[in-house]
Amino acid sequence: MTEHDATADYEFVDDAIVDVVESKELSRRLKDRIYQTIEDREGVSLDQAGEIAQAVEARYLDTRVDPLDPVGTVSAQSIGEPGTQMTMNTFHYAGVAEIDVTQGLPRLIELVDARKTPDTPMMTVYLEDEYANNRELAHQVVWNIESTKILALGDISTNVADMVVQIDLNDETLLERWPTYDDEGVVASEIAETIEDALGIKTRREGTLIEFGPESPSYRRLLQLVEELRDIVFKGIEEVSRVVIRKENNEDTDEEEFVLYTEGSAFGDALAIEGVDASRTTSNNIHEVHKQLGIEAAREAIIDETMNTLREQGLDDVNIRHLMLVADIMTNDGTIESIGRHGISGSKDSVLARAAFEVTVNHLLDAAIHGEEDDLDGVIENVIVGKPIAIGTGDVDLRMGSLDVEDADANAAPEPSDD
Amino acid sequence: MVDVSQHKLVPEHTKLDDEAVEDVLQEYNVEKTNLPKIKLKDPALPEDAEPGDVIKIVRNSRTTDKAVVYRLVIE
Repeated sequence: MTEHDATADYEFVDDAIVDVVESKELSRRLKDRIYQTIEDREGVSLDQAGEIAQAVEARYLDTRVDPLDPVGTVSAQSIGEPGTQMTMNTFHYAGVAEIDVTQGLPRLIELVDARKTPDTPMMTVYLEDEYANNRELAHQVVWNIESTKILALGDISTNVADMVVQIDLNDETLLERWPTYDDEGVVASEIAETIEDALGIKTRREGTLIEFGPESPSYRRLLQLVEELRDIVFKGIEEVSRVVIRKENNEDTDEEEFVLYTEGSAFGDALAIEGVDASRTTSNNIHEVHKQLGIEAAREAIIDETMNTLREQGLDDVNIRHLMLVADIMTNDGTIESIGRHGISGSKDSVLARAAFEVTVNHLLDAAIHGEEDDLDGVIENVIVGKPIAIGTGDVDLRMGSLDVEDADANAAPEPSDD
Repeated sequence: MVDVSQHKLVPEHTKLDDEAVEDVLQEYNVEKTNLPKIKLKDPALPEDAEPGDVIKIVRNSRTTDKAVVYRLVIE
């Protein structure tokens, strides 16, 4: 992408302008925005282009992080302040495609705490080409993802007098959910087998009517069987309770496509299903993303999820760099670590910094037992002992004094005097 | 098995040879163990990677064109 031909993309940009802009110490994104600006103004002279590029570069260099800038502290405040605004309208559930998703502060806390499972796990499943445009094929994928239980397939009746459970399967539903079969009897026999395996009993089948009962007449056992029957998954992924299908615009191709939103998440299983686009499908469970796609993908997912959470709340003016820093730290050791006592804050080198965070006595006691030392490098420990902090100007050693004017000639370095 | 490297969330991972590793450590003036880590069982790792190797990762950055980072393979 570095060898990018801007003259082809923009009508009013010629080679001379490209040379000027490309020579600046700027990111690709900023260079492209300069070209876009020139384009919007329907062409500028070479001098003007040079001035624009110069001004952008000056501003860019000006806004870079200074040496000894406490970026972590700045990030913490930059995320924390909008967080206080979030508390006001939090604990609301807003739906993406009629699916409830935890949003706002609870979601943000869940992300930085690196909870094993989110409160509302969810997947966004994209489909491969032919499936994405065809409603029937898309539905086939839906049946492979959504868990199908017995209540969706037919009616159950419990006959207490004869000690049998009768299932009257719905022919149409069977053929709809098992589109590869054309005989509902075959499907029904498969279902009967699944029931036999799961409950460990014998079944009798006649057409789409399945009947079974306890080994010996027992009213309790009969009801227990019915309970267990309701939980059997006949098709799809157990964790996914519901799938919503939606038609959306694909930003890359600018075409309409079907996208599936799932309630519940099993990222690994979903990726393996035929018709699922394994290059775009995502889950909101960062641990599943980590397991299936690795630590770098988890880092991306953390940034995306935190940014989206802020954006939903109208707080998208938080600079993405703060969230990138958080994600970098959380994924630094190759696994997802939480921010907090059990994660980042608890694994700091400094005893005093850990003790200042949470469970003070335990940390001090452990440190005393193990004879730990504290190098007093960080911010917190220096605040505690009352020393200047080694950030910003605090790290620069200066001695006050006046220069001896007579000794100072052009070549000699100024020597501070002692008065 | 799903090809992990095709996923849009997964950046390009390549194994560095010893010479390139030296250059990187010199450039940043760090020890190998100061680098961020990546687990050996990470699905995005190149197949021939072993503990102690350094992996070069080229991210599609949000703030610049490409961002290059390095991770040390552990256990």
